[in-house]
Formats: sequence, C-alpha cells, structure tokens
Amino acid sequence: MYIPIIGALIGIIIGVFIPYDIPINFVKYTAIAILAALDAIFGGIRAQLDQKFVFYKFISSFFTNTALAALLAYLGDILGIDIYMGAIVVFSIRIFQNLSLIREAIFDRVWWHAGSDSKDKDI
Amino acid sequence: MVRIKSWHLGIGVVSMVLGLLFVFQLRTEWKMRAVLPTRQVNELAKMFSSQKLQLEKYQNENEYLRKQLKDYDRDREIVRLRMTSGLVPLKGKGIFITLSDSDKKLKNYEDPVFYIVHYDQLELLVNELWAAGAEAVAINNYRIGNTTGFSCAGTTILVDTKRLAPPYEISAIGDPKNLKNALMMPGGFVEQQILSFNLKFSIETADEIEIPAYKGSISFDYAEPVEEAK
Repeated sequence: MYIPIIGALIGIIIGVFIPYDIPINFVKYTAIAILAALDAIFGGIRAQLDQKFVFYKFISSFFTNTALAALLAYLGDILGIDIYMGAIVVFSIRIFQNLSLIREAIFDRVWWHAGSDSKDKDI
Repeated sequence: MVRIKSWHLGIGVVSMVLGLLFVFQLRTEWKMRAVLPTRQVNELAKMFSSQKLQLEKYQNENEYLRKQLKDYDRDREIVRLRMTSGLVPLKGKGIFITLSDSDKKLKNYEDPVFYIVHYDQLELLVNELWAAGAEAVAINNYRIGNTTGFSCAGTTILVDTKRLAPPYEISAIGDPKNLKNALMMPGGFVEQQILSFNLKFSIETADEIEIPAYKGSISFDYAEPVEEAK
C-alpha cells in the first residue's frame, strides 16, 4: 500500500518546488484530472489485486478518461452547462466501487486466507 | 530486493501526477482565497450588490463634490472673507442713527448719570443692529470689527482704542426697513433704554451708507485653525 503514498509524496515535493499554479480558468480541469488520477490509482490497485493489471491498459485508460472528462468540461463551458459534473459523479462512483472491491480483496487475503495464496503482500 | 513491477511504475507515476496536480490546485485555491473573501456564490453576490450600492453612493458624492468644486470661486470667497473681517470699506443701503446725551435741564434732585449715553447702551444698540440683520456697523466712522469691544474710560467711551465723543453717529448697512422696525419695536431696547431717558435719538434710512475698513489690529497669537474632520 506504500507505492501510491510514496508516489504522491514525490509528486507533492516536486510540486512544491515548481512555482507553478493553474490559471483560474483551468481549475475545473485540474479538479477533474485529480479525480481521474484517484480513480486510476484505485482501479490499478484493484486490478493488481485481481492479478489483471496490464501496464498499457492502465496508463491508456487513465489518459483517455482524463481526456474525455476534460473534453466534457470544455463542452460544458461552451454550452453553459456543468457537464463535467457527470464525469465527477462517474469517477466518484468508480472510486467507491473500487475501494469496496479492494477492501473485500484485502479482507479475503488477510483474514480468511492469511498467507495462503497471496503473491503480492506488499500492497 | 523487491523487483520493480509494471504496476509499481504505473500506479507510482499516476500517484505522482496526482500529488503534483494536488499541489498546483491547492496553490491556485489559496491564491483565490486570498482574493475572494468566500467561495459561496450567494455570499459573493450579496457582497457584490452591496459594494455596487456603495460605489453608486460614492459616485454620487463624487459628482456632487466635483460640482461644488467647479462652482467654488476662490476670488469670490476671498472678497467675502475680506468683507466679513472688515478689511474693505463697504457701502450700501442702511440706516443712520444719531444718539447723544440728553439736553434736558436737570433739576437738583436728578442724577445726570441717567441722562448721558453710556457705553453699554451703545453696545446693546449695536447688538440690536446685528440681531436685526445688519451686515456692517460703524460708530463715528469707526468700523465695528469681529473683536471690537466697548469700554468706559472716565467720561468717554472707547471702541477698541478709539475715543468716542457725542453725538454718536451709528451707521449700519442692511435692509433699512427691517433695521428701523427692529429698533423701534414697541417695548424694545430703544424704547426702554434710550427714549425713556430723554436721550437724543434719531433714525434715518439712507440709500447709500459708507462704512470704512476696520482700523483695529487683527492678530492671532493663540488661536489656530482646527483641521476639519471629515
């Protein structure tokens, strides 16, 4: 479980040292990107727990999801409707779903089959 | 040693992106918070409308002040102040009063003190004139200034430092009818304090009365103007 935390810490440290801030017009897009990244992380962890993790699928899904969400936000800006809310809702739902699956998987491994068939204990 | 697997790399990189974006977003948010008092749209709208109202008020005030500034004429103000302080001779419609001691033959038991003009009578007469709306007053061609005082010095009357001798000629600029009526008011000062003592008293209205400039000193050694608080 330390990989995402270490990665996030490295990102935060890099961010602190890069004096960049997002133009206010793009704050909405960043928010969606953050949500997409969270979704990708949870999805990735879940896939790994299911032994289904494929690197290029993971990365490509992250980028396409983010791109689609950004596109929706942009479209919403043009049309004057908050379409990006849809993306936010979907990402949030997926995060919760993945979280519950991860939790179940961890419970399965740690409590019911402790040490039996877990190949990757470092999650 | 833990072998670096593809999922380590993937999740790590995405986590890094997450952290990076998080910091950027937070920075922007903080900057926005420093500018915006609140993110609540309703609150902001309320503030905006109240500020707009305030702005309108200030604009109106500004316009009013600007107009006042435009209308303000420095030269006219100076002339008015000079007139007020008695620095310039004035002329205009007004009344001319002559007052002198009674020439009644006194009997033995009568006190002559009651039949001469006293300084306080002059002072009160001038006071009556001011109260009736006189704009400038002079006694025996001596202008009554802002700080002029009357005093009694033996047998003569002092106005500031000028000695007066009867007959006292008082000229006042103002509405002649008003001034005269105010002085001759039944039961008023003149009737009670001057006519009752048989002092010689006459009032004439005049179309052109000249009052000289104030000849006394005007100096402010102690007084200072107070900054007007806005």
